[in-house]
Amino acid sequence: MTSTDHHALEGHYDRWLDEHAAELAGAGELSTSSGIPIKPLYTPLDLEQIGWSYERELGLPGEAPYTRGFSAAGYRSKLWKMEMYAGFGSAEDANRRYRYLIEQGSTGGVSMALDLPTQIGMDSDDPMARIEVGQMGVALSSFADVERVFDGIPLDRVGHIFTTANCIGPIAAAWFLVLAEKQGVDTSTFDVQIQNDPIKEYIARGTQFLPIEASVRLATDMLQHMNQVAPNWLPISVSGSHMKQAGSTCVQEAAFTICNGIAYVETCLAKGMRIDDFGENIELHFCTEMDFFEEVAKYRAVRAVWTQLVRERFGGTTEAAQHFRLHAATSGRPLTAQQPLNNISRITLQILAQILGGCEQTRTASFDEALGIPTEEAARTSIRANQIIAYESGVPATVDPLAGSYYVETLTHEFRRLIWEEIARVDEMGGAVEATRQGYFQQKLADGAYRDQVAVDSGEKVIVGVNRFQLDDETPVPVFTLNEDGINRQLDRLGRLRKERDNEAAEASLRRLAEVCATDENVMPAVLDCVRNYATTGEISQVWRSVFGEYRSEMSKL
Amino acid sequence: MNDDNPAIRAVVSKIGLDGHDRGAKVIARGLRDAGMEVIYTGLRRTPQELAEIVLQEDADVIGLSILSGAVVPLASAMQEALAARGLDDVLIVVGGIVPAATRADLAALGIDGAFGPGTAISDVVGFIQGRLGRRVDAGV
Repeated sequence: MTSTDHHALEGHYDRWLDEHAAELAGAGELSTSSGIPIKPLYTPLDLEQIGWSYERELGLPGEAPYTRGFSAAGYRSKLWKMEMYAGFGSAEDANRRYRYLIEQGSTGGVSMALDLPTQIGMDSDDPMARIEVGQMGVALSSFADVERVFDGIPLDRVGHIFTTANCIGPIAAAWFLVLAEKQGVDTSTFDVQIQNDPIKEYIARGTQFLPIEASVRLATDMLQHMNQVAPNWLPISVSGSHMKQAGSTCVQEAAFTICNGIAYVETCLAKGMRIDDFGENIELHFCTEMDFFEEVAKYRAVRAVWTQLVRERFGGTTEAAQHFRLHAATSGRPLTAQQPLNNISRITLQILAQILGGCEQTRTASFDEALGIPTEEAARTSIRANQIIAYESGVPATVDPLAGSYYVETLTHEFRRLIWEEIARVDEMGGAVEATRQGYFQQKLADGAYRDQVAVDSGEKVIVGVNRFQLDDETPVPVFTLNEDGINRQLDRLGRLRKERDNEAAEASLRRLAEVCATDENVMPAVLDCVRNYATTGEISQVWRSVFGEYRSEMSKL
Repeated sequence: MNDDNPAIRAVVSKIGLDGHDRGAKVIARGLRDAGMEVIYTGLRRTPQELAEIVLQEDADVIGLSILSGAVVPLASAMQEALAARGLDDVLIVVGGIVPAATRADLAALGIDGAFGPGTAISDVVGFIQGRLGRRVDAGV
C-alpha cells in the first residue's frame, strides 16, 4: 500500500469506527476458541501493524516458508487423500469392514484402530483385558491375528496402512515388516504408517505402560530401524488431536505437538541420524474443530514453523526434509449424541477448514461417533462429504484461496508468534519429555476442558442441539453392535496359538529381547524375531515392563 | 460446613483400560466446585482397587468414567466389588459413552445415574445430591 493510500484508509477507517460505534459494540468482546481477540473488521492496516510481508510470510506454493502449501499446483494436481478410520471386533470382522471401505472408494488405504488391551501391551486373554477385547478397535494379540486381518487384502493394492500403535509402536512395525516378508511383497510398493507417538499418551490419550523415557527410546529405535529397512514408510505421526480433544486450545494443540516433535527429532539426531534422511517421513497430525478460520490459520502456520525448525534447528539442507506430512482429522469431540444428523454439517465444515488450510491427507469422523462405533452408512456419508467438496464445490480449483484475507493472515501470523513463544517456554523447562513429567501439558489441558465445560453449561458457548435448539423427543439412530462370537473365536485361537507355536523359539527370542533392552542397541531386530516366532503382544510388552519398569498413574485429592 | 451437613465424599475414577480422562477430570473439578470432597483415582483402576479406595476414603459416591463401550460389565463388576466389602449403599454414577441400549441394562443393575455426552455438570451434581438426600452449599 502506498503511504497516500495508507493515510486515506486510516482516516476513512477511523470515521467508519465512529459512525458505527454503537452497532459494532453490540456483539461485545469476541475471541477465537484459543482466546485470540477478534476485531469486527480487518483491513490492510492490520497487516501493516504486525509488519506483515508477503514474501517473508507466504512466498509461493511449493516454496519456503510453505504457508501456501507444499505443492505448486495444490489440489489442481492432486486431491487430498480421503481416509476413514475403522477397526473393531475380531480379525474377521475388521477384514470384512476394510474390504467394504475399499469397495466404497476410500482412497486412504486401510486405517486400523486397535483395541485397548493391544495398545496397552496386553493379550486378549489377560484377565484385565477380557471385557475390552475388540471394543475400541481390532484385537491383535499376535502376528497370527495380523495375517487374518489382511487375508485377501493384497498389501501392494491397499497402498497405505495406518495404525494407532504408540507405546507398542515397535511391535506394530514388526507386524508389517514380517507380513511383507511372508507375502513376498517389496516394502517399496506400499507404505505403512504407525502413530508411534508415546509422549502424547502420557499427556492425553492414556495407553502408556512404561516410564516415558523408555517409551521414547523404543519409539525412536523403531523410527531409526524403519528408516533403514523401509525408507518410504512413515514411522511416526506426532499427534496433537488427542491433546485438543482432551482440552487444549487450537494454539496449544499446534504448539505442544511441535514441542513433542522436537523431542523425537532431537533424540534421533542424538542417535546419529540426519534429518535429511527422515524429515519427509515425519507426520504431524492435528484435528479440526469448529473455529473455522482459526483452523485454517493453524495449518498454514504449522507448515511455516516446522519447516523453519528443520532448516534452522535440525540442520536440514534439502527441500524433501522440510516436506513433512501434514495430516488433518475431523474431531470427534464437537460431535453430539443429540440430533446426531447435525454432525454431518459439523463434519463438512471441519473438512472444508482443513482443505482450505492445505492439508494433503484427511481422516473423517462419522456422524454417529458420539453414540458408539460408526455404522457403515455413517462412514460412507463422511467419504461422500469429502467427495462433494472435491467434485462439486469448486474449492480445489485454485491454490490457497484464503491467502491475503486480512483476517486469515493476521490469525496465521498470530499463530506463528504464539507457537514460537510456547516452544521457547518448553525448551526452558528442559523439553517436552520433562514438561510432560512435570505435568505441564496435562494441567493446561485439564484447565481448558473445565473452562470449556463451564462455558457450555452457562450457555456462553452454544452447541446446537445440546444447550440450544434442543429437541424434546430424540429419534434413536441405529447403533453398531459388536459380534461377540468373533471375540470368542479370537480367544480360542489365542489359546491354540500358545500351544501350537514353537514355544522354545518364542521364548528364546523374548530372552534375547530382554538382553538387548538392557543395552543401547536398537531393539527392532530382536522385536522382529519375537514377532516372527509368534511371541504375543503381551509377552513382548511384559519383557519391556520387566526391564524398564511399569507406569503407574497417580491418585490426587482435589 | 457443619456436622449436620458434612461434605459429600466422591471418588471419580477411570475404571478399566480406557485412558480418556477429560470428562473424569472435568467432573472431578465440577464436584469439588460444588462443595464435595473429591478424589480422582488416575487411570486404569480395577474394581477391587476402587472398592478399596472407596472404603479407605469413606466415600458416599463413586463415579465411573467409561468411553470404551464396556459400560455394563465394568459397572456390574464395580457393584460386586463394593458389595463384597459391605459397601452396598455407595452410590454408583456412570459417565462417558452410554448407548441407549446400555441404559436399560444399567437400570436393571439398579444404576440409573448414567450420563452421556452433553451432560451439564449441574445435572450430575443435582443427581448425586438428590440421591444422597443432602445438599451442600458451594463455597461454604
